[in-house]
Amino acid sequence: MSESDLPPQPPRLKSADLPDIEGTDHDFENSVGPDHNTGVAPPGWVITEPTDISTLPPSSLFDLTQPVMDESAFFEEDTQRPLISLLEPMTVLRTEYENGNQVFVKQIDWLIDRGWVGIRRTRGDGDCFYRSLAYAYISSLLPQSSRSQPQQQQDDTSIINVTKAISYLESTSALLESVGFQKLVFEDFLDLFVGVLKGLISPSAGEGGRVRAKLVEEFNVAEVSNSIVMYLRLLTSAEIRSNPDNYEPFLFHPETGEQMNTRDFCEGFVEACGKEADHVQITALTKALKVDIKVAYLDGRIRSPSSSSPSSHLADVDFVEFVNDEGIEAGDKGKGKAVDGEGIILLYRPGHYDILERRLED
Amino acid sequence: MSDARLRRVNKEIADCKNDKASSVTIDLIDNSPFHLKGSFTGPEGTPYEGGHFEVDIVIPESYPFQPVKMKFITKVYHPNVSSASGAICLDILKDAWSPVLTLKSTLISLQSLLCSPEPNDPQDAEVAKHYMTSKTSFEETARYWTMIYAGGPGKEGLKGSPGLRDEVAMAGLEKAHVDKFEALGFDRSKVIDVLRRLNYRGANVPKINDDRIVEELLK
Repeated sequence: MSESDLPPQPPRLKSADLPDIEGTDHDFENSVGPDHNTGVAPPGWVITEPTDISTLPPSSLFDLTQPVMDESAFFEEDTQRPLISLLEPMTVLRTEYENGNQVFVKQIDWLIDRGWVGIRRTRGDGDCFYRSLAYAYISSLLPQSSRSQPQQQQDDTSIINVTKAISYLESTSALLESVGFQKLVFEDFLDLFVGVLKGLISPSAGEGGRVRAKLVEEFNVAEVSNSIVMYLRLLTSAEIRSNPDNYEPFLFHPETGEQMNTRDFCEGFVEACGKEADHVQITALTKALKVDIKVAYLDGRIRSPSSSSPSSHLADVDFVEFVNDEGIEAGDKGKGKAVDGEGIILLYRPGHYDILERRLED
Repeated sequence: MSDARLRRVNKEIADCKNDKASSVTIDLIDNSPFHLKGSFTGPEGTPYEGGHFEVDIVIPESYPFQPVKMKFITKVYHPNVSSASGAICLDILKDAWSPVLTLKSTLISLQSLLCSPEPNDPQDAEVAKHYMTSKTSFEETARYWTMIYAGGPGKEGLKGSPGLRDEVAMAGLEKAHVDKFEALGFDRSKVIDVLRRLNYRGANVPKINDDRIVEELLK
């Protein structure tokens, strides 16, 4: 069978072929690839993307947005999913992609090979970034495993971590008031947040495994979970509002791509329930909370061989770091340092955030 | 769940009561703190000036994570308020709601909505068309509604009993137009209804011929 006997390939638009997106990809890899510890990723690449997209023809736009649209439709219908789920093996996620985009499957394998064997999912309700971060933040204050240290030492470490976190969170209410939030709208959220933290170190809390199980339970009580999410939204907003010079150049309307002022952006896309977080909100929140986080981008996109080192895998996963530079001077203020150094790691798929873990199950 | 809701609502009611400078008030309708009545005065320099507007407030189960439900009790002539039901089209009452908003701040937003109608995102399409066709005529009608329903200025000047109101002015039409079709033998209230629906006002008048109107009247 000669090559000419083969049926012709159907014409297909590949978003990876579009030069401007490709360019974005290069910048992204060069500045924040796994080998570069360059600190906070430049917010530019995500934020300017809508502007680039608006110049594309409709057909390419469809090709670009369709996977994302499918993804969000999937998550929106999914109201039965717990707000925060128990830890599941990554292989479960893998099976969901087996009949779909094979790049996702390869990227999942890449993560599993490197020890990221567990995923803790959140409900796809627009609060997923804040909820994932909240859970991972609190969880990072607790001992990660019972192997390395004796029980007493672990207890002492988590009491110190949690106590610092409580005093830091309580101190942030002044920041919220300083940007004009009335105490009555946020004090209940803060009380519940602090209450969850206090519960972790109370004498009746029990040992590590039980504390974790209780934390998952509490995160599934809508009032508690949503109060914590809301407090993080307000903290994000307060950070942006109190440093407009740092953030205003990067505030764009997520749908129209138009530049926005600080107040409209914060009211419409930070403080409002269910509005998804983008690069700006993530940068602001990690700074306001004084935590370092890493986000693994499981985006189903093949890295172009020319843009990465020849030895690197084509379906590897970028870990974007959000590093809070104030952490050094304020090291004693509830910094979310994990007990065994792993830190807060989130897993991003187009339109959604979950939590990435090294353990298979709770 | 409702404990937190009750705590929050009580704080909000107290906050509103303590703010003497505010033009907004909140009162209980029955004995439930979750069904309230808000009120405010019509903003100055608008057709609603001098009116007293009341709003029905229902606090949903998962407040403040769900938006408060509000609708006008007082009838209002405004593109973003249903002239029949009082339903309000305002983003913060829907997908732009945030738990940082309070009953007081939401009522203040309603007050500002009266200052700045958004006819392109209407709740009442007929009123919005009126607004777009002739702003002067719209404002006259809105002012008339404020006088009739919200106790706005001018009521003393009304001839006859206060219950007697001018249906033509209520519909934002011109008396001469209504008289003309009534003279053809049609019922006056039917004429008012048809001309209102056809938006027979301002620049639209020459565009709608008499046959079209008669056709509608005969339906």
